[in-house]
Amino acid sequence: MRVKLKDIEFSSPILTASGTYGYGHEVRDMADVNQWGGIITKSVTRHPREGNPPPRIAETRSGMINSIGLANLGVEKYCNEIIPSLNELQTKVIINIAGSAMKDYLETMEMLESKNGKHVGYEINISCPNVKEGGIEFGVNCEMTEQLTIEMRKRTDKLLIMKLSPNVTRIEDIAQAAESGGADAVSAINTVVGMAIDVKTRRPKLNTAFGGLSGPAIKPIAIANVHKVFKAVNIPIIGIGGIATAKDVVEFLLAGATMVQIGTMNYQNPNLGIQLKGELSEYYSQNEIEKTEDLIGKVEYHSN
Amino acid sequence: MIYREMGKVISNEEIAEGIYKTVFISPNISSSSMPGQFVNILPSLDWRNVMRRPMSIASQGNDEISIIYKSVGEGTRIMANWAIGEKVDLIGPLGNYWEGYKSSFPIIVGGGVGIAPILNLHDVLLEKKIDHCLIMGARHSGEHFFPHEPQNKVFLSTDDGSLGIKGNVVDILKSIYPIGKHSQNTKIFSCGPPMMMDEVRNYSNENKLDCDLALETIMACGFGICQGCTVERKAETNGVHSYRNRFALACLDGPIFNAEEIISCV
Ligand SMILES: Cc1cc2nc3c(=O)[nH]c(=O)nc-3n(C[C@H](O)[C@H](O)[C@H](O)COP(=O)(O)OP(=O)(O)OC[C@H]3O[C@@H](n4cnc5c(N)ncnc54)[C@H](O)[C@@H]3O)c2cc1C
Ligand SMILES: Cc1cc2nc3c(=O)[nH]c(=O)nc-3n(C[C@H](O)[C@H](O)[C@H](O)COP(=O)(O)O)c2cc1C
Ligand code: FES
Repeated sequence: MRVKLKDIEFSSPILTASGTYGYGHEVRDMADVNQWGGIITKSVTRHPREGNPPPRIAETRSGMINSIGLANLGVEKYCNEIIPSLNELQTKVIINIAGSAMKDYLETMEMLESKNGKHVGYEINISCPNVKEGGIEFGVNCEMTEQLTIEMRKRTDKLLIMKLSPNVTRIEDIAQAAESGGADAVSAINTVVGMAIDVKTRRPKLNTAFGGLSGPAIKPIAIANVHKVFKAVNIPIIGIGGIATAKDVVEFLLAGATMVQIGTMNYQNPNLGIQLKGELSEYYSQNEIEKTEDLIGKVEYHSN
Repeated sequence: MIYREMGKVISNEEIAEGIYKTVFISPNISSSSMPGQFVNILPSLDWRNVMRRPMSIASQGNDEISIIYKSVGEGTRIMANWAIGEKVDLIGPLGNYWEGYKSSFPIIVGGGVGIAPILNLHDVLLEKKIDHCLIMGARHSGEHFFPHEPQNKVFLSTDDGSLGIKGNVVDILKSIYPIGKHSQNTKIFSCGPPMMMDEVRNYSNENKLDCDLALETIMACGFGICQGCTVERKAETNGVHSYRNRFALACLDGPIFNAEEIISCV
């Protein structure tokens, strides 16, 4: 069940997805948070963000759309109020950073680096569909992705993971840009652009009209994207999108993921990642799989 | 402490037209909940949607809790068909609770599906022998399930006049407590359809009465991690609009908000 990313060993390949498990402590009454392979925290930005006006979420078939707008308390407060509680967790912590300009990303990372937190790495959100300002999104542009990765690489020796968006023409190109910029891994996917309309009122169900679709509805999109990236890069991939069962985890591994993250389904079952760790281990023993590596990318194509 | 526990259904009945009451054995949630709080419910173990369904707690005690709900969609239809003995995945108690009723003359106002937290408060006030007035609104008599008893300060209204007083809850408020005819310490507690609560809020403003409202928003988690259940608060006086100032979370900062705090109930 143990997996390694660079020199960091995780007790399970199952992590929480950013924005779907807070900072770990919110659910401690209901789940033994330390049983997760690791916790990826809600995106933090250079300055506090109030987020988008309501309504911010809507349920759709087998999923939901959201436009939270990266509401968070900003890196300064994060350093003082959140890092101490993250340091108390026994599991691995990866801090997710978001921004809208290069300077914001870099300053945020510098402040976090100066804090001597116990966190083992960073996941860089270059793909949030819900934030308007800042011009071009980093995650849709190869040069910007590479440049950002290079600059962040200069500033940390911890794990550096670039989180990719499915809302691009060729995700494999962006993944390659992250790889050549020096990322240790990529994670995929963030939410898929979506929209829902209330037919009675004719209003979009989200205040921002467009939002990000997540949950089981996006799993096939995520599997396809992970597999495309797997064929294009040599660094490990963390698969994300709609995971609800142990079989889903295996599917991501077969498509090429080394680890996975669980997002939306945590809301319904904050213990899911821990449950699936047990079920996955059963699957391994029933199918005589010794280690996770034996599954990674082992999808077998039809021969014709 | 938030518990996730399998509540055992011990009764599940239609108590009025399309309105159901379910009683669970749920010892942890029962012993730790306060009137006004809610539980977040997984309608069935093979529930295919991603969100649980939040429901206010209508009563707690003796290891039991109850909920009262209207069958409006997929989730509540499954709930209405729960069998006796069925185990249901519950998370709770969640959110804040009614406060400030001990030192006031409470007027409690409910309508539509906003019955549960109001009845819960009514029961607590009866138990604590706190003099108060209860006003409940519905469209017609079929949606009410207890009697109109003005002598006990329990007033029912119906849109069609088929039971109690014809009109809405604010019409009753105005007729029994005309503007300016309030004792100093009257406080209004209300839960119901957004339009109704906005009218109650206006009435409270006109009368300069303290007023707390239990709001409903769509919720993905119910315990503060999705940031989806936003309620807009009035601008902070210092002008610094930042995280969780202007946009409060109904599951943590609410569901009960003071009428002065918020922009609207809709
Ligand atoms: C804190 C809180 C307490 C609540 N307490 C009660 C209660 O005591 N009794 C009761 O009958 N209802 C209550 N509700 C509303 C209840 O959660 C919804 O009626 C329920 O989720 C509908 O589920 P459904 O699957 O049957 O309907 P769906 O098919 O999902 O939707 C039917 C309709 O209900 C609306 N709706 C869906 N989810 C919610 C939601 N979370 N909040 C408000 N409206 C929603 C939809 O917009 C739609 O118009 C409460 C909601 C909140 C947030
Ligand atoms: C309500 C919500 C908030 C999210 N917030 C963030 C965030 O702050 N940063 C980020 O990188 N991803 C965020 N995500 C995306 C998830 O981390 C994940 O990539 C996506 O939801 C797909 O996985 P899932 O289908 O398992 O949910 C959020 C998702 C949801 C549903
Ligand atoms: S419902 Fe998720 S934060 Fe309130």
